[in-house]
Amino acid sequence: MAAVGSAVGLGNIWRFPYMCYKHGGGAFFIPFFIAIFTLGIPLMILEFTLGHWSRGGAPKAFAKIGKKWEWLGWWPLLVEFITVIYYSVIMAWCFDYMIYSLDLRWGANAESFFISDFLGLTNAPEILGSIRWPVVFGLICIWLLIYLIIRKGVKNIGKVVLITVPVPTILLIILTIRGLTLPGAMEGIAYYLTPDFSHLLNAEIWLAAYSQVLWSFSLAGGIMITYASFLPKKSDINNNAIITCLADAGTSFFAGFAVFSVIGYLAFSMGVGVSEVATVGPELAFIAYPTAVTLLPFAAAFFGIIFFIALLTFGIDSAFSMVEPLPVGITDKWNVSKEKVTGIICLIGLGAGLIYTTGSGLHWLSITDNFLATYGLALIALFECVVVGYMFNISRLRKHANDVSEVKIGRWWEILIKYVNPVILIGLFIIFTYENITKGYEGYSTFALLIGGIVLALVAFLMSFVFMKIKGDKTV
Amino acid sequence: MSLPLSAIGMLIFGAVVLYGGLAYFIYRAMKSKKE
Repeated sequence: MAAVGSAVGLGNIWRFPYMCYKHGGGAFFIPFFIAIFTLGIPLMILEFTLGHWSRGGAPKAFAKIGKKWEWLGWWPLLVEFITVIYYSVIMAWCFDYMIYSLDLRWGANAESFFISDFLGLTNAPEILGSIRWPVVFGLICIWLLIYLIIRKGVKNIGKVVLITVPVPTILLIILTIRGLTLPGAMEGIAYYLTPDFSHLLNAEIWLAAYSQVLWSFSLAGGIMITYASFLPKKSDINNNAIITCLADAGTSFFAGFAVFSVIGYLAFSMGVGVSEVATVGPELAFIAYPTAVTLLPFAAAFFGIIFFIALLTFGIDSAFSMVEPLPVGITDKWNVSKEKVTGIICLIGLGAGLIYTTGSGLHWLSITDNFLATYGLALIALFECVVVGYMFNISRLRKHANDVSEVKIGRWWEILIKYVNPVILIGLFIIFTYENITKGYEGYSTFALLIGGIVLALVAFLMSFVFMKIKGDKTV
Repeated sequence: MSLPLSAIGMLIFGAVVLYGGLAYFIYRAMKSKKE
């Protein structure tokens, strides 16, 4: 349940439906399902098996493969920690907007409210602007919540996910039912589902499908390794991994109906085409959706609140799962109080997150996300496959997985990890690098890209060696 | 407006693969737990 909660996050709601719409509607399902079965499920099984086999967090798991590979366990933890620093700011926006929904504070122009009044967005990342205090307030609440949930460890998380997994799903069902009963909803759904198979011949759709699977499933972040280490010795890890992947993808698929029914209604109300209002990411959540909510004939505030509670509850288990592996990794290696370490990590996260609460926050957030979530995860996943596939006897891991699982995996899994996935991941990495070099990123200056993206990614990489080199109190 | 047939086809395809698959593996998990 915790793994499902971690995998299902904001991306399922605001990214997947748009990916379908952009890449041939229903035709996107074909590469997406192929990506699930060739990359998502094999990697998920690998991470579940590593955690279960090593009975520890990612550093301990890779140290068990070979002492020199311990850094590969720290690296994803640090990347995830940097990721949660800005992810928690988006959660803070959701928190504020949940309150704003009470009186539909964004008024008739949600775009102007979000960009100018709420974010006070500056023209460039170098112009910091002022601290946005409502965002800081939301950020403090989110970090406090994260701390309270994870300070006692996995037992507490087990209880919390009993609420944070079903509640947003129920809210999503309510939002979908409401969306489907609105005028124009079917036009929106038609945009989401109608396939254009000519897209299948385009490399872009395959790239988008594989990227979506990698990021949506919370892979390559050390999270699944950590969670699997807490599973009982006799757990069907293969089946658990497959269920986690399918539950995540199923939520994305379902979210498309909630999103595109409302997008269809928005287009209908404004008398424009669906393509003119279909959008992705923060624009969808904080501009398009609030605009549609304002136009609702009744109970507008109610549906606004429900939407942002759904986002908050979908996001919060992803957020604390990004933090949790780091204190687990540290307490696996050193004799320190988990509660204290968690508190310090949360304080660092809150402090570092303040940069994203300034007027330039959205710029920095976009840059960091591009480099960390794009390069970072693709590279870590690649290293995972190569180290496990070539520096270790991967058959041992398959045997371990099959020994404890009712669902057995064959040699196909080893082939995917050793040969197919490295090729896919190298391809992803090359294409991203090529695009960033030739097209730049959103017109940002080289200085901003260096500071907000490349330097941060390098710091995470180098720090993983520092963590490995510091002598531990325990044998890993 | 009603959905085009091709959209309905993709809806069924997506639902069968994802929810059918999910139901099948949850069923297997429950069955093996009972045993």
